[in-house]
Amino acid sequence: MRAVRQISACGIAAVMAFVISSCSVQPCYEETDPMMNTVLLASGTGESVRADSLRVRGVSATDTVEFVDARSVTSFSLPLDPASNLSMFYITVNGIHDTAVIYYTHLPHLVSPECGYTFTSNITGVATTHNIIDTLIIENSKVDLDGKKNLHLFF
Amino acid sequence: MAKRTCISFFSLLLFLAGSRAVAQDTVMVPLHLRAGFDISGPMLKFVNKDLVSYGLLTSVDITEAVTLNAGLRYSSFHTERHIYDFSSRGLSIVTGAEYNFLKANVSKGKYYAGIGLRYGLSLYAEEAPVIRYTNAWGEGVSSIPLSRHAGHYIEITPGFRTELFRGVTIGWNLYMRLLISAGAGKDLKPVWMPGYGPATKGMATAAEYYVSFSIPYKRKKVIIMPKTEDPEYEDEGEPVTAPPGTPSGFGGGR
Repeated sequence: MRAVRQISACGIAAVMAFVISSCSVQPCYEETDPMMNTVLLASGTGESVRADSLRVRGVSATDTVEFVDARSVTSFSLPLDPASNLSMFYITVNGIHDTAVIYYTHLPHLVSPECGYTFTSNITGVATTHNIIDTLIIENSKVDLDGKKNLHLFF
Repeated sequence: MAKRTCISFFSLLLFLAGSRAVAQDTVMVPLHLRAGFDISGPMLKFVNKDLVSYGLLTSVDITEAVTLNAGLRYSSFHTERHIYDFSSRGLSIVTGAEYNFLKANVSKGKYYAGIGLRYGLSLYAEEAPVIRYTNAWGEGVSSIPLSRHAGHYIEITPGFRTELFRGVTIGWNLYMRLLISAGAGKDLKPVWMPGYGPATKGMATAAEYYVSFSIPYKRKKVIIMPKTEDPEYEDEGEPVTAPPGTPSGFGGGR
C-alpha cells in the first residue's frame, strides 16, 4: 500500500504540474505582420540608390493610408491588404508621383497560439505607371514573416 | 590419445557447467494482459475547460521486462480568444513498447518503473471559425474552414505502475512528445493536435494517470541469480541442493 500511496501522490503531482503549466496564458512576443520589402535601385546600373524623399500611401475603397513618409531611404516595407487580392499604392519618389498595383493571393498562417493568425501572401503580378518608376520587378513572390526582399524598384 | 583428451575436455565442461549453476535462483513471474482508461483526462476538464480527452490503454507483457502497448484517445479542443476561435477534434492511436527497469524478483509482475517509446498517429479535423486581425489597412474578420489531417509523433514515456488490488493496477506516465508532422502544412499547424498537444512546438509534454484491469495469461520462469559459485561448497565437497523452484537438471551437476 505504501507503493500505491507514493505512486498516487507522484501521479497527482505530475498531472497538476502539467495542468498548471498548460493553463498559464503567455503574451505574444513575435512579429505578426508580414511586410512586402522593396529595394530602390538605379535604372540602368542596377546599383542601390538613395531617394531624397519617399512617400507611399495605400489606397483602400474608402480612404488612403499613409505607410511611408521618409527622407534619404534605400528601401521600404509595406503591408498588403488581407481583405483583398490587390493593393494599390501611391508612390511619390523625389516629389514625382506614380501608382503601383500589387496582385496576390493570401493564406492564413498560425504564428503561435499566443499571437494567433496572420496572412502571408504570394505576389502574382505588379503594374505601375512610369512617371519616375522605370520598372518594378518581383524578386521573391512570397511575403511572409521571413523578411526577405520582395520587389526591386528601378528609377 | 585424442579420445582421452576429448573425454577429459567434456568432463571439464560438465564440471564447470555444474559449478556455475550451483547458486542459480529463479522466480515465477506472471505475464499480464491489461486494459484500462485514463482518469486524468476527465479530471482535466474541471481545470481546463477548453479540452475534453478520453483515453483507453491496453498492454501485454511479452517478457518480465518488456511490454507491448497500444492506446486510443478521443480529444476535443475548443478555445475562444480575442483574436481567434479555434476548434480541433479527433482520434489518436499510439503503439509501442515499454521496458521495466525493476528486476523480476522486485517487480513480481506487479510493479513497474520504466520507460516506453511509442509511435502516435492523430486523425483530426481543425477549423478556425473566427480570425480577427488588425493591421495598417484596418480591422477585419476571416475564417479557416474545417479540414481533416493526419499527424504523426513519437512519445517517450517514463512512468510507474503498481497493483492496487488483485487484478487492478494504477499508474502514471509522463509524456515527452516529439512531433514528426502535423500533416496540415507549415501555415496551418493546429493550435491543439489531438493526442499530441500544441503542434506549433516540436516537443510537447503531458502527464497521464490511469487505472487498468489485468489478467495473468502466463507464468514465466525467470533466472534471477545466474553464474555465481560458492567456493566453500567445492572445498568441503558437500552436496548442493537446488533452491526451491529450480528445475531438475540444474544444481545437481556436480
